Amino acid sequence: MGEIVLDVVNQRTAFATGRGMLTAVSGVSLSLERGKTLGLVGESGSGKSVLARSIMGLLPRAAVTGPGSRVLLNGRELTRLSERELRPIRGAEMSVVFQDPMTSLNPTLTIGKQLTETLRFHKRLSKAGARQRAVELLRSVGLPQPEIRVDQYPHQLSGGMRQRAAIAIAICCDPDLLIADEPTTALDVTVQAEILDLLQRMVREHNMAMILITHDMGVVAGRCDDVAVMYAGRIVEQGPVREIFHRTRMPYTAALLSSIPRISDPAHRRLDAIGGRPPDLIDPPPGCAFAPRCKHVSDRCHRVRPEPVTEAGHMYACHYPLGMKEPA
Amino acid sequence: MADLTSQGTAGKTPDTTDAHEAALLAYARKKKLSPFLYLPVAWLVFVILLAVFAPWLGLWPADEIDWVALRVPPGANEAHPLGTDHLGRDMLSRLIYGARVSLTVGFAAPAIGVGFGMVLGMAAGYWRGWIDEVVGIAIDSWLAIPGLVILLLFALVFGGSLFMVCFSLGLLFIPTAARITRAATMKFANREFVLAARALGASDLRILVREILPNVIWPLIAFILIDIPIAIVIEGALSFLGLSVKAPTPSWGGIIAEGREYLETAPWISLIPTAVMFTTVLSFNLVGDAIRRRMADVRESQV
Amino acid sequence: MRYLLRRVQRLAIVLAAVTLVTFLLVNVLPGDVAYEMAGINSSEEEVQEIREDLGLNRPVLVRYWDWVTGVFTGDWGQSFVNKEDVWETIVHRFPVSFELMLLAQLMALAMAVPAGMICAFRPDSTADKIIGGIAFASVSMPSFMSGILLIYFFSLNLGWLPATGYEPLSEGLWANLKPMLLPALSLALVEWTILMRTLRAEMISVLQEDYISLARAKGMSNFRILLGHALRPSSFTMLTILGLQVARLLGGTVIIEQIFGIPGIGRLLIHAVFTRDYIVIQGCVTFFALVFVAANFLVDVAYAWLDPRVRNERLSHG
Repeated sequence: MGEIVLDVVNQRTAFATGRGMLTAVSGVSLSLERGKTLGLVGESGSGKSVLARSIMGLLPRAAVTGPGSRVLLNGRELTRLSERELRPIRGAEMSVVFQDPMTSLNPTLTIGKQLTETLRFHKRLSKAGARQRAVELLRSVGLPQPEIRVDQYPHQLSGGMRQRAAIAIAICCDPDLLIADEPTTALDVTVQAEILDLLQRMVREHNMAMILITHDMGVVAGRCDDVAVMYAGRIVEQGPVREIFHRTRMPYTAALLSSIPRISDPAHRRLDAIGGRPPDLIDPPPGCAFAPRCKHVSDRCHRVRPEPVTEAGHMYACHYPLGMKEPA
Repeated sequence: MADLTSQGTAGKTPDTTDAHEAALLAYARKKKLSPFLYLPVAWLVFVILLAVFAPWLGLWPADEIDWVALRVPPGANEAHPLGTDHLGRDMLSRLIYGARVSLTVGFAAPAIGVGFGMVLGMAAGYWRGWIDEVVGIAIDSWLAIPGLVILLLFALVFGGSLFMVCFSLGLLFIPTAARITRAATMKFANREFVLAARALGASDLRILVREILPNVIWPLIAFILIDIPIAIVIEGALSFLGLSVKAPTPSWGGIIAEGREYLETAPWISLIPTAVMFTTVLSFNLVGDAIRRRMADVRESQV
Repeated sequence: MRYLLRRVQRLAIVLAAVTLVTFLLVNVLPGDVAYEMAGINSSEEEVQEIREDLGLNRPVLVRYWDWVTGVFTGDWGQSFVNKEDVWETIVHRFPVSFELMLLAQLMALAMAVPAGMICAFRPDSTADKIIGGIAFASVSMPSFMSGILLIYFFSLNLGWLPATGYEPLSEGLWANLKPMLLPALSLALVEWTILMRTLRAEMISVLQEDYISLARAKGMSNFRILLGHALRPSSFTMLTILGLQVARLLGGTVIIEQIFGIPGIGRLLIHAVFTRDYIVIQGCVTFFALVFVAANFLVDVAYAWLDPRVRNERLSHG
């Protein structure tokens, strides 16, 4: 067992809307060891990004965190910290890479400025020292001509290079936890693998823990140690990658797995998409949230929400798990 | 409806319905007009009624000079409740007659501007082509000339009749009104109901008046609402410079300007009309803003 | 290069339109300047003589052409009333108006930027509502009214600042600034609200951007985020408004200079209007248009400074 970096206990995050309380994350628990990568998978709207923002404490003001929710980073509880107390932790102990580097980098500041301000704040480096470190960092993330790039603006870089710069910003203070929120979704297919490789390398070199958020099970396959599948604000299946891929229990996970595009597929083939849409999170139905879209649904699924079951490190929440003779 | 949803959430996760959440929810739902709005509405009704019925209120004639009561402060002389100005003219009477000028210009100038602008904008947006081109150039040139210059020159050339003040001020509102109308007309010109009317053999004029006009009129009304206080302010500035209605016809800006000389000895001559004009303009702004928001909400909920 | 040409072209059209319209308007004035100059008891022949002297009996368009060609050679004509050279009078008086406008705009910005940032930081908070209310009141108070009130309170009651007058810069900076503060403030009190609202609206949407989230994720303080990360990308519309406001400020100076007795172009124009000194009116209006165009050109330049994307586009174009 390695050192636990992140512990999330019963995280609940809700938003006040004109129609009522929208519960985006309801009762999620997970923990992550140093050096490990957790793949957090789900459709858009499943609550995975909100979970990431809850961990970072980057929620909008209309958000409410449940009273029993706790986020512990390196054993310290973040949930009750004030914004001021969080500041030295953010960027230094935990950091984030967002989906679209076009929108996540400030268009009016140079790459160097966006890197050095973090270094200078957390590491108290001098102006010259921060700049030198910035160049080194840009080189380490594989940005060609870092001495020139450091003085350029985001729009002067290609999408892939921008994301490399964003990764450099994220890792500049050697964080213990890196959250990568769909880091390749906005990028060209050709550079997606490069960016994922880079992230993997960074996890290794800096000995971090990483949460890799994606909607694509294919991304998870070779790059994560564990997978957590989210649906309608809950983790519905969780376990080691190999286990999840080979002994899928939850029909939703199975549907996600079957929608991975394969190289053998003809181009633009319609994916084996899951019919229907995620449920309304303001007034969710009482039973299993996936029931309306599930192929194996029964009456019980609509009435009673399945409690999570854990066997040999593999957790799932389903009344009729796949690959089993008897209902759990 | 609202109760159902909140109960639904509360029922499922009872541990999280705290006061903070309730407050946030209440805030998210709130879409009410402020009760403060009654005050400006009441003030506007009051001022409008006084202005309309001014001749029957038994006031002093606005330009009659009371030689025995020069610069009487407010409250010192029962015959002049708001006092008199430097020429012994009754302040109350001058204020109320001044309100006639301000309100007439306030309502007429935007209406004139919107009237012309609407015709131009509808023509440009409906027929497009060279008409659009010509109207566009005219609007651009019009906008390039500072509004004040237009007003100064018109005041000079055409003199200070109330009609000319309304008209020249109205000209300032034409370009924006035309642009708004043009955009709205273009949006509706290709809608099904217009195409259907055309297929049924309706003439262009009929389509413009019966089908398009009712749709473009709403943004224009909002525009008029915003422009009423602006027109009042500009008229005030003009009469302050002595370029609006000719003296001795009282106007708010004119009274303020006249009182400037006596700010030290008889400050009320300037300060009372300043307060009245400020309250009126503020009221128009508040009411216009509230109505505009309401209209935006309605449009939002229709989408 | 093409961009520059297009701007120059537009500038020329605007100036031509402005000057032509004013020229035509001024020249249909009933009772022309010749009557005024000749005096009340003059005969028709005397008036006619003056007209010929001034060249007023020629067709309007011919006179316009003469005047336009004159402008290009620096000959803006001479005042009919006091025979002073129009261009020299304008050049002499403009710095006064310019100082007033600059001071007003600086004051407006100094009020609008912090207020807009406070409002955008927590929309619908108490601070936002209070500032919004002040702005509403402020915009309902035209400058000629706030000018009167400022004089009443600060000059007559408190005696802190002079009510009227002007001191040249040669008398010292404070002596020069002192009588300018109230007039500039009364102009600024109207203008700041528009700037504040524009900045607030744009900053609210900028604060939703991912790069603001990232700045927070990097541990930056709210103050630093607002000032260092959000202000620049939030100022584009405000800057455009700043340029457009020059037209309104020019109008404002006409009134404010009248109230506070400041010898700038605004007063020159009003004086010319009342004496029907049309060549001076013509000069003032033309100059106003020039200032307006120049101000908007400066806004373009500032745009490039604010937004590196525009900067590079410009560089690669010309």
